[in-house]
Amino acid sequence: MQDVVNQVINTTFGWNWPSWAIALIGYLIVAVILFAIAPFQMLFLTLYERRAIARMQDRVGPNRVGPEGIFQPLADGVKIFTKEDIVPDAADHWVHFIAPCVVVAPTMFMFVVLPWGPGMVPVDLNIGLLFFFAISSVSAVGLLMAGWASSNKFALIGAMRAVAQMVSYEIPAVISLLALVLITGSLSIVDMISYQGGLFISSRDVASVPDWGLGWFIFTPVGFLAFVAFFIAALAEGERTPFDIPEADSEIVAGYMTEYSGMKFGLFYLAQYVLNFLLCAITSVIFFGGWQGPGVGWLYAQAITPVNPQGGWVFNVLAGVLGVVYFLSKTYFFFFVMVWIRGAFARLRIDQLMDFGWKFLIPLTLVNVISAAVWVALTKWGAADGLAFVEGWSPLVRWAVAFVVTLAMNLGAYLYLARIFAHSQAERERLDDEVLESLINVV
Amino acid sequence: MDIPRGNIIVMDRRRGKLRVGQGLIQGLKVVWDHWAGSFHKNENFSQIHGTFTVEYPDERLPLPQTYRNMPVLLYDDESGHELCTGCYQCQRICPPQVIHITQAKDPVTGKMVPAATEFIIEYDACMSCGFCAEVCPFDSIKMDHVYELSTADRVSLTMRKAQLNRPISYYASIAPDLWAEVQAGAMKKLQGSIKRRPDVIGLAAVLTEKIKARRLELAAAAAAAPAAAAPAPAAPAAPAAKLTPEEKAAKLAAMKATNANKGVAAPPAKAPVELSPADAKAAKLAAIKAANAAKQAGAAAPPAEVPAELPPTDAKAAKLAAIKAANAAKKAAEQGNSE
Amino acid sequence: MDLLIQIIFGLLSALIIGAAMMVVTVRNVIHAALWLIASFFGVAALYLTLEAEFIAVVQVLVYVGAISILVLFAIMLTRSSEGERLLTQHWWAAAIISLGLFGAVLLPTLVGHHWNLPLPTGPAGTPESLAGVEELGRGFVNEFLIQFEVAGILLTVALIGAIVIAFEERSRRRRVLTLSEEHILRQRQQATATAAQAALVTADAAD
Repeated sequence: MQDVVNQVINTTFGWNWPSWAIALIGYLIVAVILFAIAPFQMLFLTLYERRAIARMQDRVGPNRVGPEGIFQPLADGVKIFTKEDIVPDAADHWVHFIAPCVVVAPTMFMFVVLPWGPGMVPVDLNIGLLFFFAISSVSAVGLLMAGWASSNKFALIGAMRAVAQMVSYEIPAVISLLALVLITGSLSIVDMISYQGGLFISSRDVASVPDWGLGWFIFTPVGFLAFVAFFIAALAEGERTPFDIPEADSEIVAGYMTEYSGMKFGLFYLAQYVLNFLLCAITSVIFFGGWQGPGVGWLYAQAITPVNPQGGWVFNVLAGVLGVVYFLSKTYFFFFVMVWIRGAFARLRIDQLMDFGWKFLIPLTLVNVISAAVWVALTKWGAADGLAFVEGWSPLVRWAVAFVVTLAMNLGAYLYLARIFAHSQAERERLDDEVLESLINVV
Repeated sequence: MDIPRGNIIVMDRRRGKLRVGQGLIQGLKVVWDHWAGSFHKNENFSQIHGTFTVEYPDERLPLPQTYRNMPVLLYDDESGHELCTGCYQCQRICPPQVIHITQAKDPVTGKMVPAATEFIIEYDACMSCGFCAEVCPFDSIKMDHVYELSTADRVSLTMRKAQLNRPISYYASIAPDLWAEVQAGAMKKLQGSIKRRPDVIGLAAVLTEKIKARRLELAAAAAAAPAAAAPAPAAPAAPAAKLTPEEKAAKLAAMKATNANKGVAAPPAKAPVELSPADAKAAKLAAIKAANAAKQAGAAAPPAEVPAELPPTDAKAAKLAAIKAANAAKKAAEQGNSE
Repeated sequence: MDLLIQIIFGLLSALIIGAAMMVVTVRNVIHAALWLIASFFGVAALYLTLEAEFIAVVQVLVYVGAISILVLFAIMLTRSSEGERLLTQHWWAAAIISLGLFGAVLLPTLVGHHWNLPLPTGPAGTPESLAGVEELGRGFVNEFLIQFEVAGILLTVALIGAIVIAFEERSRRRRVLTLSEEHILRQRQQATATAAQAALVTADAAD
């Protein structure tokens, strides 16, 4: 973006502005675009979710406002804007007022490192992935503020649940990504995408594989397990249905949002849907190659890039459009999966949630990290790193051996942990029964 | 859509031994089947995949005959006579007490007559239980099928008699079988009521051309009956028959009554004795009819057209005038009798 | 560019100092904790201006995302004296102690600092990225291995201690019965009562 701004201002108009002004203008334009995109994503996703869940429940869904109901979110927006803003008398007014902003701001920040297409990333931070999750953890503060400031017991319980859940499930999410960070050797999201060229096998692992943009991490055992664990953790972070304990409407009204109305409530809603979009987006970026797909790599190779300044700008546009189409279709597919899961499963209890997170998901992801280390050792290391026996194997053989070994490790770990988990749950129920028996015998 | 009753639909629950995580996958499969199947519309309720939605404002389901929403009052298409006799059964049974009836009174004697001058149902509080229709001995009150009753304010849901009146043909069209069951009895009772009190049975406010014609016919018949015996009242009756609009009926009746009064008072005791009661009765009937007409015409009745010695400015005054005229006629008849 | 950095630095410093002041002056403990979070955030932004991205992000992740949540939880669970100002009698003593401590940190820095040095002229080209993830990782497993391990063991011990304190044997746990459990309980009570009745009756009959 900055080179374009520079081109326009300093070359076309010849104003000779300083570089910091150019940088500022470039970042401002990008920020404005992102801030415009985020609410529209939210508007679209609300309609998308309602239509999809309606179909799953043998209904039609909102289809009256505009063709197929596409203006329904606008009608909802108008409604929520014109609603009265009610603040409880007992509330802590300032904290009550700031809390929605503290919840929304991090979700907007997270767009900073999200790549939309080839060369289309607002800022390519070399610690992008860590930034993404560090910022997302800030919204927990906002939730706690909202729950506490409302001086409502439901709100406080909801906030406590939300924070406990977010803090617990951040760990498996980050550890599952850690496995992939080990493989790519980089925390940059752009690097992670460019690693996923190839055809079912990443061309970074095996150089001879043609680059069709299909060397996604999901096709490796490590990536698959990380994907499953990450997606479950993402459901919990986004407060999606099997884990929508913080706002369980049948138990605690609306959780931390109970005392909010009007556009403040709308901001929580916005934050939630934008966060869901971002979690789906990051899932598609890290495990499904983001904008990677057949044709994008070839188109981008013809485009104007720092590597290839003689390219045609048409290819920039084509590669960008195709990349964004791939990226968004994957993202929306994952949102569909979220809705699908919402349609299928019931809400967990808080202790079940904690048990599942700490006793099943975290051990599984830890095993996955070890698998990732084995994968890296088998595909990348040589005699210099103390792994002499792989010398002389062809890359494909090394990849195949790594695949089989990590598959065996992960499958074994899954089955073993699942058995232990099921056993512990059964034991727990038995103990519950025993408690019941003892209670009965006392009386 | 046909609803199979008594059929047991066996659903495939896919029971069996489940390995870890398998149950979750099966749950997802069920939801997926519903999603994938939701793009076609179901024909009957035995299908479990697919939508049942009827997109209401665009398409509507046919309502069953026994569907009930809000009560309405029926009147006879031909004569315009309401079936309601104001018996208060519905008002008594109504659980939310939203039915209010004003019984009609004979303007001459002041006694109750089997008709309702006003009949109010508060639709806003009505709970559509249908007790009123069940209890009505004259099959006058029936449950309507109209359900789009939204209004901007509460008051416009307070329905008066004029808004409640529906012709029998309307009810027969929405619930033909139900009407066929009760038709004979209802019509018989109506005829009986008409016969007993030909003119006091309330006339439906929703007047059709047919009803107007029928009213004129009745007026002409009433005028013609005394005309054969007593020429004095017949003379003013003839020009009155040409005045078609109903508000002129008030003037007609009042004039007739006055004329009858004059006719009997000025040429005393010329008429035969057995003829006098008939004459008096006709005059009285005309007066009552005038009262009814004046009521229905409301303020529209032009005061200027009422005789000069009785200058009323509103419907009440017109009624008063009619009653006065009737009293005069009665007095005249008594004079005739005494002689 | 330098001017812009100066301005941003000034704003961030004002935010950090202002928030820190609010932490110690504000009456409400929760508000103090929230101001503390604002202060942490300002520090993270300050790291960003120093191009120490990893440290900045870790500051946010650890301090804003975890420590402050812990602080808030602890306050909410233990708070009993909201709004009371502590040390109202001896605020001057507190001021002297804190000034002394601050001076103890500041004085060696001021004494040991060399003022008005010319700016270091590094080698041309892009400067080496400082405190990258790789350097940190290598530092943890090579140079500072012992410290890293000790810190790890300390945290594990703390974790185990927390579990030991919080652990309660399930059989001793007082638990609220669900409705269905209550129903079962009542049924069984009735069954035992009738059984006892029956036993009594049979005993009477035997007599």
